[in-house]
Amino acid sequence: MSGPLYLAWRYLAHHRIKTGILVASITLIAFLPIGLNVLVKQSAAELTARAASTPLLIGAKGSRLELTLNSLYFETEPPESMPYAEANRIAASGLADAIPLQIRFRARNHPIVGTTLEYFDFRGLRPASGRAMAVLGECVVGHRAARDLGVAPGDTLVSSPETIFDLAGSYPLEMKVVGVLAPVHGPDDDAIFVDIRTAWILQGLGHGHQDLSARGAEATVLSREEGRVTANAAVVEYNVITTENLESFHFHGDVDDYPVTAVIAVPHNARSRALLMGRYGGTDQTVQIFRPDQVMADLLGTILSIQQYVVAAMLGVSVATLAMATLVFWLSLRLRRREIETLFKIGGARSSVSALLASEVALVLLLGLTLAGGLTLIVQRFGAAAIRAVLLT
Amino acid sequence: MKRRFPVRMALGTAVVLACSPATEPNSNALELPNGNRPLAIYVVNHPLQYFAERIGAQQVSVSFPAPGDVDPAHWSPEPETIAAYQKADRILLNGAGYARWTERATLPRSRCVDTAATFRERWIPVEDDVTHRHGPTGEHAHGRFASNTWLDPTLAARQVGAVAQALSDARPGDASTFETRSQELQQALSELDVRLAAATLPIGHTPLLFSHPVYHYLIRRYDLNAVSLHWEPDEAPSDHDWNALEKLLETHPARWLIWEAAPLDAVATRLRTLGIESVVFDPSGNASETGDFMTVMGQNAAALERIAADAGRG
Repeated sequence: MSGPLYLAWRYLAHHRIKTGILVASITLIAFLPIGLNVLVKQSAAELTARAASTPLLIGAKGSRLELTLNSLYFETEPPESMPYAEANRIAASGLADAIPLQIRFRARNHPIVGTTLEYFDFRGLRPASGRAMAVLGECVVGHRAARDLGVAPGDTLVSSPETIFDLAGSYPLEMKVVGVLAPVHGPDDDAIFVDIRTAWILQGLGHGHQDLSARGAEATVLSREEGRVTANAAVVEYNVITTENLESFHFHGDVDDYPVTAVIAVPHNARSRALLMGRYGGTDQTVQIFRPDQVMADLLGTILSIQQYVVAAMLGVSVATLAMATLVFWLSLRLRRREIETLFKIGGARSSVSALLASEVALVLLLGLTLAGGLTLIVQRFGAAAIRAVLLT
Repeated sequence: MKRRFPVRMALGTAVVLACSPATEPNSNALELPNGNRPLAIYVVNHPLQYFAERIGAQQVSVSFPAPGDVDPAHWSPEPETIAAYQKADRILLNGAGYARWTERATLPRSRCVDTAATFRERWIPVEDDVTHRHGPTGEHAHGRFASNTWLDPTLAARQVGAVAQALSDARPGDASTFETRSQELQQALSELDVRLAAATLPIGHTPLLFSHPVYHYLIRRYDLNAVSLHWEPDEAPSDHDWNALEKLLETHPARWLIWEAAPLDAVATRLRTLGIESVVFDPSGNASETGDFMTVMGQNAAALERIAADAGRG
């Protein structure tokens, strides 16, 4: 290390507090506008990408943002549901493929997504181990969910009750894990996927119970008339689906009336998309159709406008901070006048003294900018996940 | 990686595959001359297997994994078999609640085709479905329908149309070929319908017995005066069953009992002492050793013609 640089380093090391304040100021001046920009751009790209890959969303009338966030990120409270018939209506139209979603329940804080196999093809999800669900009661777990829950194919998972004190509500169902998905670095990594009919069983709309005509069921039968059996509340309903009791599971009423929180429609072409959107245009409709990318664009537009104000404010703060730092350097030079004169008296050349002072400034700037760069890298790595967590909760 | 076979080897393999039971998926083993692989079609019963093979010919690879000794309507495949169904290009369902396992299985709905969906209004509700009530959900029945729809050849022809449409949707380039073969098969079913109508005309309202309640569509189509029992061909009826039959004969003096398969000799002999002859009308839900679907239906028509001849003499 050359003389002026060494002396500058020793000086800064000796005056740690002053150096620390200067370095912190420079770091913040450089990092805040750049880091925020990176954060917003990255979040925008991620949020937009998932929304852009979801052509159309259909759900009950209400908040589009809530419906989008629930259907795409599985995070918000469940929106109003609509009848499953909407999925059949879309499929029957021949204009689009329909992927129903029923996202209402959770298992240890991980969302349980009731859907069809088409969802896996649509999102490009493939089992890294095991297989897709094949019968009621089976589930496939996202990569991160499997890691967090410590489950693998062959293990079981129990759904969480909607409310602890809802004794008349749906019972927890023990589900068999049959596959773990390969990571896709998105919300699907955190989810637990089941057949949509398993989701309806979780809701209590379908169930399996002991054969009321079998021997041993007499205690649960209140009356048995021609073609009519009335059972009491003691009839055994199963809370785990096994090979032995699978055949007893059934659904009451018309499945078309069963609830779904949303339907993803994948139109066959642009014309199909326009026609499909036109069919839901009436004001008397109880359901709505929209492009999730536009909803996310609106959300990001709000975020970006806020960002512009924040950046403008930060630029003002940065200018003030920079002026303060300049003042600190200038005052420091004034305070060190006797020290500089001493350097001249002991034979120090003007150029050497200038080099010493310049080195001090350069080192402070270098340290500050290095720290700002490091913080920007951290934001680049974790910022999107952080802002998504903040936005969605 | 796709394997390419010389034409001669491919034809030889096709012959071997055609002669072997279609129980394993083999859609990736061959490549058609136009570069397409055969469509992987999975079905839930033998009639649909026959229809798909007749219409699709070498353009399809039809898999029907149910063992030969089970009734596919009541079969429950293992999850691994369901996983094979999930990979099919098209899954042909019979509809009308046939093969209830499909209601409990996770199948790709966009690739499932309900071949009876176009005549839903003609499905026959099962009258003896038990209504039950428990818990907060109230009274409910499980809403079952008779499901052997193909026993009415006019409905079978509509199922043939649905199969052709499903194959055309999956492979539009071959649509005209599928349509031509579909029309040929529908013509054959129409001729079967004429033959069955001719056979049942002399039978008129002569009382008949059926061993099992699986002939609803045949009975309705040809307006037969039939009562269905719950007798299994490979089981000897209990004394209670015999007593019930004798009582039934007082109000329904049938001279013919139509079975799904040949009954035990002892049962046929005892029936004869009651003046009842046994004939077989194979519903053909599963593959038969005596021939393909149309062959078995021809044999069934011949069985009804025997009854018709007897009714004519009587």
